[in-house]
Amino acid sequence: MAPSVHYHCPCLSNSTTPPPPHLPSSSYSFHPLHTLFFCEECDAVRCNRCVSVEVSTYYCPNCLFEVPSASVRAEKNRFYLFVHKMPCNVLTRRRCARNCFMCPNCRNTLSVVPSDPPESGDGRLAVPISTVGEPPFFLYCNHCRWDSAEVGITFEKPTGLAAQLQKFEDSAPDSLEFERLKDHFEPFIRASSLSSSTTSHAVAHPSSAAHSHHLHSNSITAAASAALARDIPGVGKYNPLARSTSSRGIGVSGRDRSVNKDEMAEYRSRVEIAKASVVGTGGGDADVEFMRHLENVSEVASLDQRWENSWVTSLQTSDLKPLRIPLHSKRSKRCPACTHILIKPEQKAQSVRYKIKLVAANYLPAITVALPHAQKALTEAAKRTLGKSTSAVEDDKTPATGMVAGKTYPFHLALTNPLYDPIQVRLSPQRLNISTAPSKDGPPEKARRPPFVISLPTSTFPIAAFAEAWEYDDDEDMFGVEEGDDFGIRGGAREKDGRSTRSKTVGVLEKRANVTIVGGEVVIGKEAQGNVKFNTLVSYTYRSDDPAPSESNDGDGPSIPQGNKPPEVKTFAFYTVIDLGPIIPREDSKSVPDV
Amino acid sequence: MEPPIIYSKAEFIETDTGNKVSRRATIAGPQNIILGGKTIISSGAIIRGDLRRTGPGHAVVISLGRYCLVGEGCVMRPPYKTYRGNFNYYPMKIGDHVHIGANSVVEAATIGNHVEIGKNCVIGKFTIIKDCAKIADNTIVPPNTVIPALALFSGSPGRFVEDLPESTQEMVEAQTKQYYTRFQPSER
Ligand SMILES: [Zn+2]
Ligand SMILES: [Zn+2]
Ligand SMILES: [Zn+2]
Ligand SMILES: [Zn+2]
Repeated sequence: MAPSVHYHCPCLSNSTTPPPPHLPSSSYSFHPLHTLFFCEECDAVRCNRCVSVEVSTYYCPNCLFEVPSASVRAEKNRFYLFVHKMPCNVLTRRRCARNCFMCPNCRNTLSVVPSDPPESGDGRLAVPISTVGEPPFFLYCNHCRWDSAEVGITFEKPTGLAAQLQKFEDSAPDSLEFERLKDHFEPFIRASSLSSSTTSHAVAHPSSAAHSHHLHSNSITAAASAALARDIPGVGKYNPLARSTSSRGIGVSGRDRSVNKDEMAEYRSRVEIAKASVVGTGGGDADVEFMRHLENVSEVASLDQRWENSWVTSLQTSDLKPLRIPLHSKRSKRCPACTHILIKPEQKAQSVRYKIKLVAANYLPAITVALPHAQKALTEAAKRTLGKSTSAVEDDKTPATGMVAGKTYPFHLALTNPLYDPIQVRLSPQRLNISTAPSKDGPPEKARRPPFVISLPTSTFPIAAFAEAWEYDDDEDMFGVEEGDDFGIRGGAREKDGRSTRSKTVGVLEKRANVTIVGGEVVIGKEAQGNVKFNTLVSYTYRSDDPAPSESNDGDGPSIPQGNKPPEVKTFAFYTVIDLGPIIPREDSKSVPDV
Repeated sequence: MEPPIIYSKAEFIETDTGNKVSRRATIAGPQNIILGGKTIISSGAIIRGDLRRTGPGHAVVISLGRYCLVGEGCVMRPPYKTYRGNFNYYPMKIGDHVHIGANSVVEAATIGNHVEIGKNCVIGKFTIIKDCAKIADNTIVPPNTVIPALALFSGSPGRFVEDLPESTQEMVEAQTKQYYTRFQPSER
């Protein structure tokens, strides 16, 4: 994998320091810059894990028809109410009500085809497309060749298939059971949403829309948990949204006041599950019988093929029915702390524009990392094989790009300033105290020795302001080919960084337009293992043109007024994790017993 | 930061609008093909501008926008169907900033702007790919598939995997421009 730089999002955590780079939690806290948002109000980075999300439009990914979210809610949406505690799941469970169906076998989109005799001879196209032909029509998969006639579903006309199929669907046992469940719970939901203080609401949710959503799902959850508490003695009130309340439930008697309040009539299912197994749904004798006479594994529908069903279904491939296509959604995103909107897409489903788009890339300098020795090896390999096919190049380029234990390598960080003001940047690599190969048995002093040491320029360095003219558009020559192979070293000699011994490698190497390239160096220990991966704090200051410090939040970027400096200079700091790639163990180190 | 991608100067023809077309590519029916400018046609690519709708006059069969890349060994072929008993080809329209990886076969009807198609893909007949979508390497997209904006598709058949980030357009635009800039002739 190529070397990478990821950015930290604290996700409202009180701790400002990120997890150490070699822990698995690191990858949950660090993200590529282009996936992050920036809240001007809070002056903070936000990520997809911490923003709150609201649906603005639903649309069908196949016919691209937009479904206003209001009408989606009004529709009777089958069985999906009870997965409400997982909002994302709900979003993908809304189905296209038009003529869009998925192949139950392979998930490709199905086409409507007439019963015309298929064209033969030229072998070009077995099934004509959009031909107005002979009824009956059926749904056909042009990927795996499944067709709905196989399962006895045909249509008199090629339009309004959804309505024609509705009859099938409404009489399905899962649909009937759901209707029954809904009828059962509806009075309770209505009653509970009337009283404002229905459920304990431990999760403070500032957005009003999200709030009502939670209230709604809470009442359903409460209903479900009340039923659960009654049916299974000893299981208390289960409330996934409020952990603090759930703790008191376990072990405590079900005679809790809140449970009594949630009490409702017992639900009797339409079909008794013990009887259902007889007719071949859900592992009864009928299924055993079917399996006994099995001749071909493909007669059994795979779990993947049955996954979409909310009900126990037949095991047989021959019983698979066409699936309605789940709707997709466009989503707005809000800051979890101050609820300001960070992302607001245009209403039109297929537009890629946004009314509001506060992405971190417009505020934070973009940092890319490269290993000159690896790049040089790649370029050499490309030159050798110039004109040959790409596959020939792949083989002989890999060896020289790695980093071997016990050696020292330079690396380059290119920082690009997105702001219209110049910035001053300081890089502070976090000290690594723990070995990347933690060993219980090894001598403690050895385990404590860092596997590698990073050198980066310690002083601040400038990056020029972004200017539209520097966009590449008509300035191809910007990519100086004349820089050649030695541009790193040459640049290093030009700029001195106080560290005279390392001046050729560590320091500011190059400045062009709004990009500054700095050189660093990694000294890898003889016994080192794992990746050269380290956290680095990046802080930058910039002068704001804004005369009034109180109104500093109108679009130029982050702003933390510094106490001891003039108010127009602001500082922002963020953590990154820089991964230079894996360390190749030395040949001779293999004799050392490995952990 | 990224090193230049060096090509043999003798191999490529550069047009007035900055298109770079390999002499090792097969451009059939060039009068029916439009390249928007700064678009690269790599060696071994086959573009079938000759497969045009029957009838007099000449018609645009395949059009590509600006900053596109047709990778090595790609086949670009207009879609066809038999409608009311008549066999015919239909034009293929591709927007700006569209990269198609090596050895992919494309028979789409339309591909929007800022679309990435990986290596070794098959994009079936009459496929519609909307803006900022991405097709992962080795994906088989069956005929008539619609791929919505900002969606990542992968697999065989190609299925929706996830929504792409809000900044995809800027990312792809920067990447395609950078690719064109890095694509430099050797001195030889
Ligand atoms: Zn976060
Ligand atoms: Zn649809
Ligand atoms: Zn199929
Ligand atoms: Zn905020």
